[in-house]
Amino acid sequence: MTTPDSPTITRRATRTGVPPLAQYLSEAWRYRTFAIYWSRAEIKSRNFETALGRLWHFLNPLLFGIIYFIFIGIIAGGGLDNTSRLGFIVGNLYAWTYFGTIITTGMGSVHGGGGGVTGQSAIPRIVLPFASTLTAANLFLRSLIAYIPIHILAGRGLHWEQLILPVLVVITGMFGLGLALLFAVLNVYFRDVSRLIPHFLRLWLYLSPALWGYTRLFDRGIVETLAQLNPMYWGMVTWTHTFGGPLSSEGPSFGFALLIFTACAVTTLLIGFFTFVSREDEFAVHN
Amino acid sequence: MPSTTDAIRITDLCVSYTAVVEEPRDPDHSKRRRTRKRDIQALENVTFNVPKGEAMGLIGGNGAGKSTLLKTIAGILKPSDGQVDLWGRPHLLAPGMGFNKTLSGRENVILGGLAAGMSIDEVREKQDSIIEFADIGGFIDLPVITYSSGMFSRLAFAVATHVNPEILLIDEALSAGDAGFRDKAVAKVKEMGHQAQTIVVVSHSSAMVSEMATRALWLHQGIVKMVGEVQVVADAYADFQANARETAQHDRSIADRR
Repeated sequence: MTTPDSPTITRRATRTGVPPLAQYLSEAWRYRTFAIYWSRAEIKSRNFETALGRLWHFLNPLLFGIIYFIFIGIIAGGGLDNTSRLGFIVGNLYAWTYFGTIITTGMGSVHGGGGGVTGQSAIPRIVLPFASTLTAANLFLRSLIAYIPIHILAGRGLHWEQLILPVLVVITGMFGLGLALLFAVLNVYFRDVSRLIPHFLRLWLYLSPALWGYTRLFDRGIVETLAQLNPMYWGMVTWTHTFGGPLSSEGPSFGFALLIFTACAVTTLLIGFFTFVSREDEFAVHN
Repeated sequence: MPSTTDAIRITDLCVSYTAVVEEPRDPDHSKRRRTRKRDIQALENVTFNVPKGEAMGLIGGNGAGKSTLLKTIAGILKPSDGQVDLWGRPHLLAPGMGFNKTLSGRENVILGGLAAGMSIDEVREKQDSIIEFADIGGFIDLPVITYSSGMFSRLAFAVATHVNPEILLIDEALSAGDAGFRDKAVAKVKEMGHQAQTIVVVSHSSAMVSEMATRALWLHQGIVKMVGEVQVVADAYADFQANARETAQHDRSIADRR
């Protein structure tokens, strides 16, 4: 019996370390059902053996938002009777939590062996951070259920920008996944990266217009220009518009902010993807 | 020479990687340590082929590069140079791969089966047979975190051995559970071997390799020492080990006399 001359699979060293993309992506696609089940498992194991179980998916960002609302109300002197601010902070924090969860779980998914997947199987490693992005998106969509009463209480109303929410979830997912891939590779060489990420994310949150409105930077010259170099400036402007409409008739338009944020997300995802796939066997060696 | 009936064809394969090692900062201050990166050449110009339908055993001491070779065929590690050609999809027998210990055994059968490359329909079709093989009774619906190590091994092994691969790769995966289950596990792996078109097996047990393989490849420090009929290679390797032991003993006795 003879086999066809051309092999089914060929593996050889490439100059950049990037495998043949068609073969890699088709192999990753083959594991799409695994990614969905892995993501479900991640969600289930998050609150394993806790009394409130899945309720924590709603409670975590809600409590986080209330704490920041009280903190800002007392420390910054904004008062605790401003429900509009509560809606603004909680909505933006839900979006930020989604973004941060992609980075932390996506990066963590390939470290520590990834349930043996990174060291014992040929599953393209990108499947794991991708599954974590699905996990974060799933948790975010659940948390929106808890946000709806706050949105109504805060009188944030209905806006056409809310129709863009699914697109924004995808773009934020792409940006978060791109960063998760980059940080995952960095963490192979510098283990301290995983320790620094929570602090980095918190600092990034404070520097982005999530807890404070982007209108505060109007007419601040160089400070506003510097703030706009941060991709999450555009991200949070877009999220603020999506949840509650524009904060002012001046300032960046929704379309422009969305465009810049999309460009940042696509660029970051491409850089993250190529960096990750060119180094992904390092996860097998160093886990 | 390679033929058109090959299932695996390895040509001038080199695999190297960087490992982080910890070593004393200087010989006088052994407590002060530093980490350094060291390039490790795990495989060097390895060339061989495995015809379709053949079982090949990999023999060699610790650090010879057997597992690295198996992982490169499986696609876990990338070649640094050279080429791996495969006619068929490889499957490395890896019990417990993809498992999540907070899920029940039943849920892990699905997750582990998907991780092993089965489709969801295939996993559902084989689910009852896997559970029956694992034979862990009512524990199947409890979280895996509550299992004893023996029960975990049984379930993990049951999932891993219900895959029908074209190229089966086995790396010391036969130490599963208690003695009774081990016999069942060995029998199951042999059955897999009969079903698979091609097998590559790594084991420290020459008897296991001899029983499963028809040809063997002896690796020494990442280089192919010998390829041939399994018993001839196993005997040559045994002689090499005996000589190495004798030389070491001789050196020790000279040192003792001094």
